[in-house]
Amino acid sequence: MVGEGTSRPIGPELSGASTVSPPSTDPAAVSARAAKPVPPRWSRPATFLYLAVPAAVGVLAASDPGFTAAGLAGYLPTATVDVSYSFLRMSAAYLLSLTFALSYGYYAATHHSGERVMIPVLDILQSVPILGFFPVVVLILYNIPPTGFGPNLASVVLIFTSMSWNMVFGVYESLKTVPSDLREAADTFRLSGWLRFRRLLFPATVNRLVYNSVLSWTGGWFFLVEAEIFTTNGKALPGIGSLLSFAASNHNTEQFVAGLIVLVIVIALLDFLLWRPLGHYAERFRFDQTPSGEGEILMPAGTSGRFRRAASYVTRGVRTGVSRLSTPLVQLAAITVRPSRRTSARRQALIYHLSLGTILVLVWLMLIAIVVAVYTVFSGTIVPSVRAQMLMIPLAVGFSVIRLVVAFAFCLAIALPLAIVLARGPQARRVGLPIVEVVASFPATALFPVIIFELVPYISEEGASILMLMTGMIWYLFFNLLSGIRSIPPDLEEAARSFGLKGRKLLRRVLLPGVFTALITGSITAFGGGWNTLIVAEYLNVGSGSSLSVLGVGQLIDLGYAESAAGGYPLMVGALFALIASVITINELIWKPLYRRAVDRYRYD
Amino acid sequence: MALIRVEHVDKSFASRHGTISIMQDISFEVKDSDFVAIVGPSGCGKSTLLRLIQGLDRPTAGSIYFQDQKVESVCNQMAMVFQSFALYPWLTVAQNVAFGLEALGWATDRIAPQVERYISVTGLDGFQEAYPRELSGGMRQRVGLARALAVEPAVLLMDEPFSALDPLTAESLREEVLQLWRDPQLPPDAVLLVSHNIEEAIQLADRVIVLSRRPGHILAQVTVDLPRPRDRKSAAFYDLTDRVYSLITQGGGTVPPSAAAEGPAAPG
Repeated sequence: MVGEGTSRPIGPELSGASTVSPPSTDPAAVSARAAKPVPPRWSRPATFLYLAVPAAVGVLAASDPGFTAAGLAGYLPTATVDVSYSFLRMSAAYLLSLTFALSYGYYAATHHSGERVMIPVLDILQSVPILGFFPVVVLILYNIPPTGFGPNLASVVLIFTSMSWNMVFGVYESLKTVPSDLREAADTFRLSGWLRFRRLLFPATVNRLVYNSVLSWTGGWFFLVEAEIFTTNGKALPGIGSLLSFAASNHNTEQFVAGLIVLVIVIALLDFLLWRPLGHYAERFRFDQTPSGEGEILMPAGTSGRFRRAASYVTRGVRTGVSRLSTPLVQLAAITVRPSRRTSARRQALIYHLSLGTILVLVWLMLIAIVVAVYTVFSGTIVPSVRAQMLMIPLAVGFSVIRLVVAFAFCLAIALPLAIVLARGPQARRVGLPIVEVVASFPATALFPVIIFELVPYISEEGASILMLMTGMIWYLFFNLLSGIRSIPPDLEEAARSFGLKGRKLLRRVLLPGVFTALITGSITAFGGGWNTLIVAEYLNVGSGSSLSVLGVGQLIDLGYAESAAGGYPLMVGALFALIASVITINELIWKPLYRRAVDRYRYD
Repeated sequence: MALIRVEHVDKSFASRHGTISIMQDISFEVKDSDFVAIVGPSGCGKSTLLRLIQGLDRPTAGSIYFQDQKVESVCNQMAMVFQSFALYPWLTVAQNVAFGLEALGWATDRIAPQVERYISVTGLDGFQEAYPRELSGGMRQRVGLARALAVEPAVLLMDEPFSALDPLTAESLREEVLQLWRDPQLPPDAVLLVSHNIEEAIQLADRVIVLSRRPGHILAQVTVDLPRPRDRKSAAFYDLTDRVYSLITQGGGTVPPSAAAEGPAAPG
């Protein structure tokens, strides 16, 4: 053998190595060199940030000349009362969701006949923007006696709808995915009744239930504030949402800041006293095993992965939902493409999508026709002004879609680099992730009044609307991308490092393809969040005269509600159906095919 | 001259329960045209050692030299073959083989013939446009091998490359690796193989470095001077296997004095 290699020049990388020593990106290497003590159970940056948020708000508020600490303190008691109201509503909605999730999920998972109906129903309900039903629910429930009960019930039901789906799926899927050997072992020992529940079923559900509860509460706060702002249009429901919008509309900085402070404290307390301990408790009920062997001890102890874990569970839910969901519409469309005819696959797909699109449009038109017909029968002809607005519905849908796409593009531009930095740099992750989690758990809706009052002059109504949409979309995208990057198999990353792949090539060859599936599921959930936020992001009436209104399907729903006394119902219901039809259409025509392709090409096996 | 020099390398990790020492005071050399195997019980840091040598990870103490240059970042004169193949599912066979060349910044028109050459060297002709998941395990590892060889490394690092394959496939791939190593026209010049299969190590290597249980240190460096092709059933082969086996099973924490066959054995 000839030593050809010895005469070869040494590569630039090695010859430069004696002077330049790039920081290792390997987590184990860094933790070994730093040789730090093990981080505490709750990470310090998060604690720091919880303290920093109210402090920063205080500093901002101090710039207001009329702001005094005494004034702020004076508002704290009433703010506490209001937040307590909101907290009680949240708790009621959560208990309702928990009961519903356990019973519905358990029944669907254990009774085959029930499963066949219950799960598709749930899939559809989940993919439909819940907030679209806001006005309808409020109108139906508002006047239930005794006084005050109706509005509260409406608010609780709305929060319930935002909390429950993901918990039901959590229960259902964890029961369905109990490893079969564990199930069989329980069978061989004839475990039944209470013991079977305690030893098998409860441990199977508790992990996902806890993580999905964290997400449900985060989403719940978001919608609670929205619900209170929405239902307060003229009629007050005491709570943090109405407090904030009231304070913002009166330009009362002291009251606004007091509300924010109490809200942040409650969220932080819940986090420290409930979710973190529960999260640690739930860790031991995980079925999925970490790869063992030499690599085992190389993994540094994760500081906090609750959101990532929660997001990955929701992602999994969306995935199975997407691949499982076969709506009657799809089946109808599939009939038009019988495999008997000899057509190319491409042409078959084209025919399939064309027929699906046609059917959806027809259904959509039919729904509007039905609404109009029903309304005409029961209350005479539609008011001309409302009819004019109803004719705007198709245009409004178009505007809303464009707005969503723009907001999505901005979200992606922020979330992708952020996720890459946080997923790949252990230092950045240790400091950055807790901060992001805290920011993400704060309900952005609480700041909507501020956006409207303070930012509209600078970024126009359109910009404010897009900004609000972004707050409802970005976290779904971010946490999905983060868990996507983290789930790229470590050997693929190591191979890339071993062959010296860096920078843009690394991004193009490894990171982007590796994260593609997560990007699709993240986009599906982000758009789901976006459709929901439309209802408040396109039309928001925050007290005295100041309001935001841009043409869109969400705006038309709100306008229909606002004009309900003057014959606005058909507008509201028509716009709602248009919204639902658009969501289903876009899911069927864009997301599902994309998702299938992603799974085909970019899965690891 | 020594291609690779490993001098008094320690490696430890911080973990939940304090610092864990993976290996202690590892020193050895790999010369030009050497075929060296590293064996030892699982968890003794074999794979970690391989990563330290390429510069994927840094030792806690001690140093590693490649051609008298200290290895401080990933060294592109060495290429790794992974136990899990580590092929990118979204790239075709040809794209996977071109992976390292792209990283080196080769021009596209130079990459294509190079990829073709190593695809045919490793017997992958006709599979250029296939995706890894369409291939069998043996074919996948051929892609891994082609990808490593395409960058024409001086040293081929193999991390349990045959462990995930069925025995028959593994056997034929072993022969091919030997042929590649012996072929003066083809890379690599030296091979460093990590294995937990003692017979495999003795069948392939000139020298077998035996590591102890964690924290790993060198129990012995056993020279294999059996003529090739080696007969696994011969008495000499069996004796060597037995010797390495007893070194590993007995030499947990201390070094039996008789076991230090040749080369510097690390103190326990």
